[in-house]
Amino acid sequence: MAPTPPRLLPALSLLLGAALWSAGCQRDPAAALAADAGAALYRAKCADCHGAKGEGVEGKYGSPLTGDWSLARLTRYTALNMPDDAPETLSPAEAQAVSAYIFDAFYSPAAQARLNPPRRELQHLTNTQYAISVADLLAGLAPPAAPPEASAPAAGGLAAVYFGSAQRGRFDAAKAAHRGVDPGVDFEFNPGSPALARAGAAEFSVQWRGSLLAEETGDHEFTVRTPNTVRFWINAEPGVPADASLDVNVSNPTRPDHRVTVRLLAGRRYPIAIDYWALPEKPGAPPPAIALRWKPPHGTERPVPARLLSPAPARPTLVVATRFPPDDGSHGYERGLSVSAAWDEATTRAAFEVAAHVGRRVDRLDGTRAGDAGRAGRIEAFAARFLAGAFRRPLTAEEREAQVAAVFRAAPDPETGLRRVVLFALKSPRFLYPDLPSPEAPGSRVAARLALSLWDSVPDAALAAAAAGGGLVTPEQVAAQATRMLGDPRARAKLRGFFEHWLQLRFVESLPPDPAHFPGFTPELAEDLRTSLRLFLDDIAWDGSGDFRELLRAGHVFANARVAGYYGWPAPSGDGFARVATSPGERSGVLTHPYLLAALSHPRSTSPILRGVFLTRGIVGRSLRSPQVAVAFNDAEFAPGMSMREKVEKLTRTENCQGCHAVINPLGFSLEWYDATGRFRREDEGRPVDAASDYFADDGQAVRLGGARDVAEFALAHAPSLEAFIEQLFHHLVKQPAIAHGPGVLAGLRDSWIASGHDLRQLMVRIATLAALHGLEPPPPAAP
Amino acid sequence: MTPILRRSFLRRAGLPAALLPLIHGLPSLGLAAPARPRQRLVIVFSPNGTIPTEFWPDRTGTDFALKRILEPLAPHRDCLLTLRGISNRVRGDGDGHMRGMSCLLTGTELLPGNIQGGGKSIPAGWAGGISIDQEIRNFLQSSPETRTRFGSLEFGVGVQDRADPWTRMSYAGPGQPVAPTSDPYQMFEKLYGGMRDRAHLRSVLDPLQADLAKVRRMVSPEDRRVLEEHETLLRRLERETADGAGGALRAGPPTLEAGVADQNDNVPRLSRMQVDLMVNCFVNDMTRVATLQYTKSVGSARMNWLSISDGHHALSHEPDSDAAAQEKLIRINTWFAGEVRYLADRLAATPEPGGDGSMLDHTLIVWTNELGKGNSHTLDNIPFVLLGGGAGFRMGRALEFDKVPHNRLLLALAHGFGHRIPTFGKADFCSAGPLALG
Repeated sequence: MAPTPPRLLPALSLLLGAALWSAGCQRDPAAALAADAGAALYRAKCADCHGAKGEGVEGKYGSPLTGDWSLARLTRYTALNMPDDAPETLSPAEAQAVSAYIFDAFYSPAAQARLNPPRRELQHLTNTQYAISVADLLAGLAPPAAPPEASAPAAGGLAAVYFGSAQRGRFDAAKAAHRGVDPGVDFEFNPGSPALARAGAAEFSVQWRGSLLAEETGDHEFTVRTPNTVRFWINAEPGVPADASLDVNVSNPTRPDHRVTVRLLAGRRYPIAIDYWALPEKPGAPPPAIALRWKPPHGTERPVPARLLSPAPARPTLVVATRFPPDDGSHGYERGLSVSAAWDEATTRAAFEVAAHVGRRVDRLDGTRAGDAGRAGRIEAFAARFLAGAFRRPLTAEEREAQVAAVFRAAPDPETGLRRVVLFALKSPRFLYPDLPSPEAPGSRVAARLALSLWDSVPDAALAAAAAGGGLVTPEQVAAQATRMLGDPRARAKLRGFFEHWLQLRFVESLPPDPAHFPGFTPELAEDLRTSLRLFLDDIAWDGSGDFRELLRAGHVFANARVAGYYGWPAPSGDGFARVATSPGERSGVLTHPYLLAALSHPRSTSPILRGVFLTRGIVGRSLRSPQVAVAFNDAEFAPGMSMREKVEKLTRTENCQGCHAVINPLGFSLEWYDATGRFRREDEGRPVDAASDYFADDGQAVRLGGARDVAEFALAHAPSLEAFIEQLFHHLVKQPAIAHGPGVLAGLRDSWIASGHDLRQLMVRIATLAALHGLEPPPPAAP
Repeated sequence: MTPILRRSFLRRAGLPAALLPLIHGLPSLGLAAPARPRQRLVIVFSPNGTIPTEFWPDRTGTDFALKRILEPLAPHRDCLLTLRGISNRVRGDGDGHMRGMSCLLTGTELLPGNIQGGGKSIPAGWAGGISIDQEIRNFLQSSPETRTRFGSLEFGVGVQDRADPWTRMSYAGPGQPVAPTSDPYQMFEKLYGGMRDRAHLRSVLDPLQADLAKVRRMVSPEDRRVLEEHETLLRRLERETADGAGGALRAGPPTLEAGVADQNDNVPRLSRMQVDLMVNCFVNDMTRVATLQYTKSVGSARMNWLSISDGHHALSHEPDSDAAAQEKLIRINTWFAGEVRYLADRLAATPEPGGDGSMLDHTLIVWTNELGKGNSHTLDNIPFVLLGGGAGFRMGRALEFDKVPHNRLLLALAHGFGHRIPTFGKADFCSAGPLALG
């Protein structure tokens, strides 16, 4: 970091504006010519305190002389303050020369990158990668699933069979009275109701089967509300009584709510099933009824929406319940860099958890049965496949013998052998550190990287086959695999995770706006907005153009009746969410999505500062440092009737603040067209909204911003903004510094991205391909 | 009554010598003496009523003789208390078996529900309140002095895999039955699964370290530092899982006979396995409250091991005049008494860890039933036999009451454990206070 004594800040304010963020590459050529003179000056006047290479001198100036000021700013600072014992003694030319030397030799980020090149670091699986890898590892070993019934509709509810009889614990196929798809489970079987008519008898039973798509990772609480008898399965083997998540044999009208909480991973389908019996109750009991409700992470308790239900079956997924310590986020994205005791203990607990799960299901996993001839051998073969899956490559003969066969010989029974192999596999560095060299099978490392970049997972069978067959050598081969992999729901989940990171939504637990101040802004609306944003992003990224420009410019939104009603948009047809158009000029893509705008607001007012900081970092792609002085925004301190813009300008007008707020405020003000809940407005506190201001780009050019669309157009036309976005996506996918993959990597990706029409999917493929092959290119053919 | 433990001197004559040296190393291992003497409660259930003429002693007071059914408990006569004349007077929905079972330890009516009982009874549901074992459990868990890892453990023997008011006597609260665990291996897993896991982990640590050493050579010096950190953590894990490390257990887990399936003919073996597990976790102070439920209300075990092939419930309906059936029922109930005896013997033969006397001196066993008599389905004269010094009652007596609501006995149990609640279950039945047993 640059030396920035607070007492000197007033002097720096002179430099505000054009010079502030000017880039090193645009400096005066004369300064470069004076490099030798600069070096000599440095040795003579600076090295005593700063060290020969700017490394610092203990007891004088201990910190390394590095930072991210522009050369102009550094020059100005040097001219005014250096040398420390005789400030203002350098001539302007000397100050320029010595600063240029310092800047190029070690101070600037580029110099630092040259001196200490960032590299791909050895890291362990992140928590997300661990959970998904374990789930897929087991799923990949399951016997092939029966193909789903061709007649099963794709989505929109659960397959239902109504029976005109009720026999506790059973269904009488001969009494099947009605088959169909119910969009949800929320019925009161009152006399004369259509629901009761489907059953056709006072004593009846219903079986619902299908799958549920989880949109968030985390704890989902399900509530089955019924005064009758019910069994419920979520992410469990449907119909197997012992696996039931809820087994309400004895009805209890006084406590009709039966709850179960399960952890689910986003972007996957889970089996869901209900067996329901309306048996005779005490005279005067309430009519038969059943409702399935849930409370997903970030959500409110409500009926499970039909759009997430499907009559198609799914298989249970092992979701590890062990909690891991948070991943290292110190680089601005999650990485598996911290090898702590807490992490190690979590890996042990999780390994036990998986071993117990596998041990309990030893026969179900591979279709063996107790007493089968050859059962022990098949379980051992299963264990070997598990270990190979965890290693992300075929086992060597030596490993197969020492880590599997010998373990089974020493174990008292095959179950114990399997548990021990599972423990070994999940505690092994080869599983936990997924990018270790694998000279045994070179292609496997490429496959492992691809699976992590695009799925946060282990390679699937197709990738493993490609690796084994030498099909992951050329960039074209790798890109073809990456393209195939984008068709998998796990790629969607990964990109969705990026959007949450990019838009800073991961830690939003509830939206700030106060419902008392904004009637109608209820927790249910907030949850709908989260869905609306997710649908918008998914639609463009996967179903639509894939064009990043549309993400920033689109005038449409996704809304249900509640959202449309609050924001004054055309009501969608139907019960669920649909794409609706807003008034021309009202919205500019994700930048103006109400969820984002509300998340970046105060309970009763907008926050141009929060919004501006987001636009600065996330869209324009400039870095900001933490505020020098902590200033709380206190609405009561301002004269009544001031607009929010006036308040912020007053609060941040000091030179101290302007260093950053000269950038933040114009961007934040551009979103003043939207109130704290993201509603479009023309007035603030009775005054017309004033969203226009001049924004100074990092090259010093002034840009007039009047609204979100101007910000979008600026970012799309501005190479550093695009590169900043690419870098964020790179980091989220690869978990390694982009710059470690070569100095021109971002510019190269930017050019090909623009050429592809800003296609997000192609960008993912390019990033994944580049990272997968980095450093693993085959050696050039030997000269004859 | 303060729960001062009466140090009854148990007559240990007739105990098999093999039972004596049960626990190795006691009391050298293990925890400090408890701040106040430990108290434990075990509730044992057997179904379908008893044969009163061969169950209740003829004389009351201290000078009583045990009849055939209770004869197996003779070695423990001095710490035995028989309580005749206790009635389950809870009425409401559900049939006699349902109320006999689900009101037995709760003392309160059944909730509405859709379980259709026998006769013309109104369908009913779960019990409407907490059971006394869970009430005492919660009381003991509320204080750090008496808190244990599990608080309570519910053992079953031959309980069918179904959930209804005939099958549950223990309730955590209204409508919240606590299922007993019939599979001793499942119980073992719950108690000692962690220890077995550690043994598995120990077995893989050496190969893991060897593999790590191999991997370490393949990476750059910078990355090697990460793997060295990882190696340090593996060594730490090795220390933590070493034999004896962190093991606060006084006694290791019992060795269970392998492969005993949860089925009718294995009931005698399952019974002993469950009792062994229960005594073992008492030694390790994993719980102070346990229930042991043999089958269920209307249980139909076929006691082929007694050469009785009829189902227990069907037999219990036979009239008093059917001498053959009566004789079988006497033998069935005597067999249950023998299992209670085995539990009592094991506790009597085990010194109280860190305390005085035997574990039986610190344990109260309550053996009970959902009916007084099978063929009349009466809820009067429920067979209550108390055994052991755990509640500070004056033992070695046969007492007789006149249709006293069993709520007063449940209340006396709570008070015996120092939990001085004014009523338990249906308050109307508690107006005369806890049954005076001290």
